[in-house]
Amino acid sequence: MATTEHKHPNYMAIWAWLAGLTVAEVLVATLSHIPRHWLVLALLVMAIWKALLVALYFMHLRFEPRRLWPIVLAPLPLAVIMVMVILQEF
Amino acid sequence: MTTAAGHGQADAGHHGLSFVRKYIFSTDHKIIGIQFLFMSLFFLLVGGLMAMMIRWQLGYPGQPLPGGGGLPETMAPGGVILPEFYNSLVTMHGTFMVFFAIMPLLVGVYANYLIPLKIGAPDMAFPRINMASFWIAFVAGLIMLAGFFVAGGHAAAGWTSYAPLSARPDLSGVHMGQVLWLVSLIVLGLSSILGALNYITTIINMRAPGMHWFRMPLSIWSLFITAILVLLAMPILSGALIMLLFDQTLGTSFFSPPEGGQPLLWQHLFWFFGHPEVYILILPAMGMVSDIIANGSRKPIFGYHSMVYAIAAIAFLGWLVWGHHMFQSGMNPMLGTTFMISTMVIAVPSAIKTFNWLGTLWRGNIRLHTPMLNALAFVSMFVIGGLSGIFMASTPVDIFIHDTYFIVAHIHYVLFGGSLFAIFAAIYFWYPKMFGRMMSERLGKVHFALTFVFYNLTFFPMHFLGMGGHMRRIYDPSEYEFMQGMQGTNTLISIAAFLLLASQAPFMWNFFWSLWKGAKAPDNPWEDNGLEWTVPSPPPHGNFAKTPTVYHGPYEFASPLVTEDYLPQSRPVPGAGGRAAS
Amino acid sequence: MSHAMATNAGTAFEPGAGVYDKKLGMWVFLGSEVMFFTALIGTYIVLRFGAAETWPLPSSVLNIPVTAVNTFILICSSVSMVKAYAAAVEGNGKGLRFWLLITVLGGATFVGVQVYEYMQLVGHGFAPSSGLFGSTFYTMTGFHGFHVSMGVICMSWVTVQAHRGKYDNGRYEGVETIGLYWHFVDLVWIILFTIVYLI
Repeated sequence: MATTEHKHPNYMAIWAWLAGLTVAEVLVATLSHIPRHWLVLALLVMAIWKALLVALYFMHLRFEPRRLWPIVLAPLPLAVIMVMVILQEF
Repeated sequence: MTTAAGHGQADAGHHGLSFVRKYIFSTDHKIIGIQFLFMSLFFLLVGGLMAMMIRWQLGYPGQPLPGGGGLPETMAPGGVILPEFYNSLVTMHGTFMVFFAIMPLLVGVYANYLIPLKIGAPDMAFPRINMASFWIAFVAGLIMLAGFFVAGGHAAAGWTSYAPLSARPDLSGVHMGQVLWLVSLIVLGLSSILGALNYITTIINMRAPGMHWFRMPLSIWSLFITAILVLLAMPILSGALIMLLFDQTLGTSFFSPPEGGQPLLWQHLFWFFGHPEVYILILPAMGMVSDIIANGSRKPIFGYHSMVYAIAAIAFLGWLVWGHHMFQSGMNPMLGTTFMISTMVIAVPSAIKTFNWLGTLWRGNIRLHTPMLNALAFVSMFVIGGLSGIFMASTPVDIFIHDTYFIVAHIHYVLFGGSLFAIFAAIYFWYPKMFGRMMSERLGKVHFALTFVFYNLTFFPMHFLGMGGHMRRIYDPSEYEFMQGMQGTNTLISIAAFLLLASQAPFMWNFFWSLWKGAKAPDNPWEDNGLEWTVPSPPPHGNFAKTPTVYHGPYEFASPLVTEDYLPQSRPVPGAGGRAAS
Repeated sequence: MSHAMATNAGTAFEPGAGVYDKKLGMWVFLGSEVMFFTALIGTYIVLRFGAAETWPLPSSVLNIPVTAVNTFILICSSVSMVKAYAAAVEGNGKGLRFWLLITVLGGATFVGVQVYEYMQLVGHGFAPSSGLFGSTFYTMTGFHGFHVSMGVICMSWVTVQAHRGKYDNGRYEGVETIGLYWHFVDLVWIILFTIVYLI
């Protein structure tokens, strides 16, 4: 199997990032004096950051053949389209 | 990663399998395909009989159904169909036909049967998941049938189950039936997803050496893209069904307005699934018809690459048009215009496909065998259904014809005239491979001619009814003064519908008689190029004695390089190698 | 592509996705899972936008600190999962069995804490029938919990198989495949935790 050759990333470093970002999220969420849209934006950025860390390093997407990427990414635009269009109702 | 070679030896010891493992809990894709075939033909019959009851009520309102005296008092006292039962009939006719007949016939039967054979693989990538997929669908079918026997009757909110009617038992009077309907479709969704992931993995990873993407038959292309649609659309439906189920059972309020729920959200979710579903029901039909038309014309398919791109374009655009089912729902008018435009755009790839079929026929050496006749019916009926589709895509016209029999005519022109004729074509075409026996050509042609005539007599007049304002799903049209002049047409449609059902008798006789008494089928009765025709009929367990090598595309008919007018994909011919597909 | 075909008479095999069947199948399955959670999360977003004024602040209803700890537990179980995978690749059977056990325990703890959380919330009068927030909250977190529970069951089976030596000698495919599912469920929780509990 040719795919076994990739190096392992430093899993403990990723773990530290994830833990740190989680603490940061919980703390940021308590800041009630900053405008709400900035708060939401900051939280979303951190959530997506964490999700990307999991996908790229724990799920090894970063080390997979690029041909796998379209299969993995295909649902995302559809998900965004669906939610954005339905939101137009409000 | 030469997985295709690696899978080849896995099934050597199959001869010792017991009857149960070989024919009931089988992991062989061919047996699973045949299991799906029998199951979905049964549900096709169930759905057809319900249509007859609907037509009886419309053709002869209020008169006792012949033989209907045996129905329970809660459905039809004295044989006269009750309005509540009529609503259930309309709902369940749609549900059975869409989810348990047409969809499994196309995706369950032919994806299972054809994919490994046509790409040169010994079986699916995950045979046990494949087996689970069938048995889960079987359970879903049983749950759906069980709904007829519960108190309150079966679901009656239409096959689209619009909320809040479907979400609140106090509005519809149906609780258990609706719950079983929801559970059944959630279970069926799981089955479809398991099937789809199998098809996708198999096609990507298990093609035989030389079977490049652009050497795959169009049937496989369309089944591949359909599997992607199933994979991504079914879970949306499952999610929506689960929320509706919770509204029914747990007291949640997703779709119930008094607590702030949004009925329109149900329509959005349903049709976000529902429009890709429409293409799930037609794309495999298009693919198989392309194979059969090339075979019947003895010519390479016209514009192979454009066919592939058209399938992909239809599939992608299919995600952006769901709102055209909701023009009259009160949604944001800006969205209505957007959806109108995106819907019109789909006409372009559809027309490309139609012109390519005509281009294939042009100056072909046409063989009018039964599969070809049904395939030609598919093309012509699909054109009619497609054109009426453009009417309703236009928002101003849709205001007039929305929820009328015009819509009913349209959906039957694409689903019956389109998908079902393609299914008949496919059954006649691959029957020899599936069962090792030929079906009778004469009976097949009789069946085709009768079906074609009575099908058109049934559904074409519905256009006129719809233009006249005849509402769909209506129990008794004679109650409205403006529709009383239409009763004659309704009666004519009903008689044609009964004859349409009767026209299926030669098919059923042909199907079952040929199982035992049909002439033995040769390996390649239609002189086709696909890999499935290079193995015995029916193919042995494991399909290929040796993994085949593919040298050219699937439509090398009338090649000047060989004396026969066909050139199997696995036959090496010097000079033919570079001609990938054209 | 057509150029390549013309030069070698078209017999060269065109590889598939470049990964083994199980892994490809799992990724394809996860694609459908993305759409499933899109239906649930999308519904939440839409309903919340539609009722922005009356939507309660999550922290006024939910117990954020307990869930934050629970999130941390799930992240840890993801780390132990990759450790198990790394051990399987190296052929380290002992490490594989140890880390798999930790993963199962982590997942089971997460589900346990979630059940505790539900009981507390229902005790305080916050149930699935408590308006739109109750509906969406229990549906989303409930189906996530269902996925974790399925993962725990599958992972227990994988642990048993590891003890029988199924993944010895670097046969890591099964471990990697179930690991993809496990990390995906973790990933979904990362999104849910932020948009349901914090925002």
